[in-house]
Amino acid sequence: MTPRADHIAGSAAIAAALAVLAVSGDLPFGTLAFPGAGMMPKLICALMILLGATLMARGGASAPFSDIGWSDLPHAVRVLAITAAAVALYTTLGFIVTMSLMLFALIALEGRNLVAAAVYSVGICLFTYWLFTVVLKSPLEQGILGF
Amino acid sequence: METLDSLMLGFSVALRPDVLWYGFLGCLVGTLVGVLPGIGPLSGISILLPVTFGLDATKAIVMLAGIYYGSQYGGSTTSILMRIPGEASSVMTCIDGYAMARKGRAGAALCIAAVGSWIAGTFGVVVLTAIAPPLAAFALRFGPPEYTALLVLGLIFLAYMSSTSLPRTLLMAAIGLLLGTIGIDNLTGHFRYSFDIAELGDGIGIVPVAVGLFGLGEILSTPSATVVGEVMAPKLRELLPNREEWRQSAWPIARGSVLGFLIGLTPGSAHIISSFLSYAVERKLARHPEEFGKGAVAGVAGPESANNSASTGAFVPMLALGLPTGPVTAVLMAALIVHGVQPGPQLVNEHPDVFWGFVASMYVGNVLLLLLNLPLVGLFVNVLRIPYSYLYPLVIMFCVIGVYTVNNSIVDVWIMLIMGVLGYFLRKLGLDPAPLVLGLVISPTFELSLRQSLIMSNGYWTIFFTRPIALALFFIAAVLLSLSLFALIRRRADWRTKLAQAEAGEAAQ
Repeated sequence: MTPRADHIAGSAAIAAALAVLAVSGDLPFGTLAFPGAGMMPKLICALMILLGATLMARGGASAPFSDIGWSDLPHAVRVLAITAAAVALYTTLGFIVTMSLMLFALIALEGRNLVAAAVYSVGICLFTYWLFTVVLKSPLEQGILGF
Repeated sequence: METLDSLMLGFSVALRPDVLWYGFLGCLVGTLVGVLPGIGPLSGISILLPVTFGLDATKAIVMLAGIYYGSQYGGSTTSILMRIPGEASSVMTCIDGYAMARKGRAGAALCIAAVGSWIAGTFGVVVLTAIAPPLAAFALRFGPPEYTALLVLGLIFLAYMSSTSLPRTLLMAAIGLLLGTIGIDNLTGHFRYSFDIAELGDGIGIVPVAVGLFGLGEILSTPSATVVGEVMAPKLRELLPNREEWRQSAWPIARGSVLGFLIGLTPGSAHIISSFLSYAVERKLARHPEEFGKGAVAGVAGPESANNSASTGAFVPMLALGLPTGPVTAVLMAALIVHGVQPGPQLVNEHPDVFWGFVASMYVGNVLLLLLNLPLVGLFVNVLRIPYSYLYPLVIMFCVIGVYTVNNSIVDVWIMLIMGVLGYFLRKLGLDPAPLVLGLVISPTFELSLRQSLIMSNGYWTIFFTRPIALALFFIAAVLLSLSLFALIRRRADWRTKLAQAEAGEAAQ
């Protein structure tokens, strides 16, 4: 059988629902007269399993999984890795340093001129910092360096 | 008469210089958001949400709503000049708008889109003015069973209107409902799925989920090498359509306005669906359907009017019932709640200045947008000349700022990243993330009203069928569900399947 998009989506939904059910053990279902904290999540998990199974059963009509293009995956991984690194450092290094580095890294990876990328990154971050902190009175994260 | 008096009160608020300024700012930012590919109204509103914390509720909602309907105006610019939809709802405008531009009628296409948007937007506000207050008065009769029924109907309607299949839409909504159960249970105080992370005790916010799924997800699946386009910049004197073009656009604008408003009332991506349906209707009614795709005026006028009217129509359930019909209205609702204003039936009585000031600001905003969009088209075109490789890092930075600043929580930013990855894979599998956000938004209300109903009736679920309003709502839901199931079982290609095929076809071009 050729795996198709809906087969993958349906099986992922069922797996997710089963995982949630597995960690819901301590949540009481309650009764109809007094529903507990676990009633709604468990009912939704049951619905997800039903819908996931329906999707898998009808999966033949969807596109083959192998036909899905993944040419953008390297771009997605790069962007995600750089953004995740920036998020991890955000509260420590503050807005200006972290976001300047993130912008520079993202633009440099696109093969752009490094000097232009550096000027653009720092300039944009300083302007944004001034805009939010001074004009919009919505201070941005300062970090251990104090800016 | 009472409505007119209230509207006058609204205008006295909306025309105050400070409110007018924030309305103008919202329209300007909204137009820019609409013009720029990769950043939608949801990201724009989310990024600027923290900025409104220092404002009062009226100014905040006027500015944020300006971003929403401003983006519908701005989306047409990139569609017509570059064949890149700045907004998903502008996809149909790409076809004939760009074809008109290739024939040297870019200015006329932009003018028709702007005037059509203005007429439709104003029409939408007039109808909203008329129907929102009586609808809110009617909704005062709603108790927990009626709200449960209304939310079930909303979900079924969402699935029925969706151009993807019923199980796919409901599955996405179910995931949203499940995410909405994270955090402290309001009735029993149980912590649910918070895994000892204190920030999850309050649940998952709409902003990180919406920005991640739509903003970051879009960027992850759009490498800069794929964004190329030649920008055509029309001169100011070329903006006026000729008499024949005006004549051809009149009825499509009228039909698009009515169709868009009606679809805007329903849950889901109404502004997107309305533009696709309007295009299909115009092609069906055209004397020369073969002109569609080659620069038909109706192919620009209809969809552009429909998406603007739909964005106004979406405010009716939000203001009158306190129910969001999509992610954007959900974030707008969150903005009102942050400012201590609860949208819903009581809004018009408890905060008449906010309600009527907001309604009146939309009349003013539509005029502002018309004045902004035509003379400043050259300026917006220059924004499009910024290379995408410089633009998308900027959008990511604003996503991070927007999400972090709402609660000063880095956990929210991690949630945004996770949702960005989820959004990327959902796109790959052809699943629409909008129902997920809607499910997340309605989840707390749905759970609370369902459990309250059961407690009220001492466990008898027949309470939903013994109250007339709830029964009527469930009946409509059952009819819609039956129609969808019938099409599903018969595997019949109904209008939604055709719409999905049209969407897929346009996306592929």
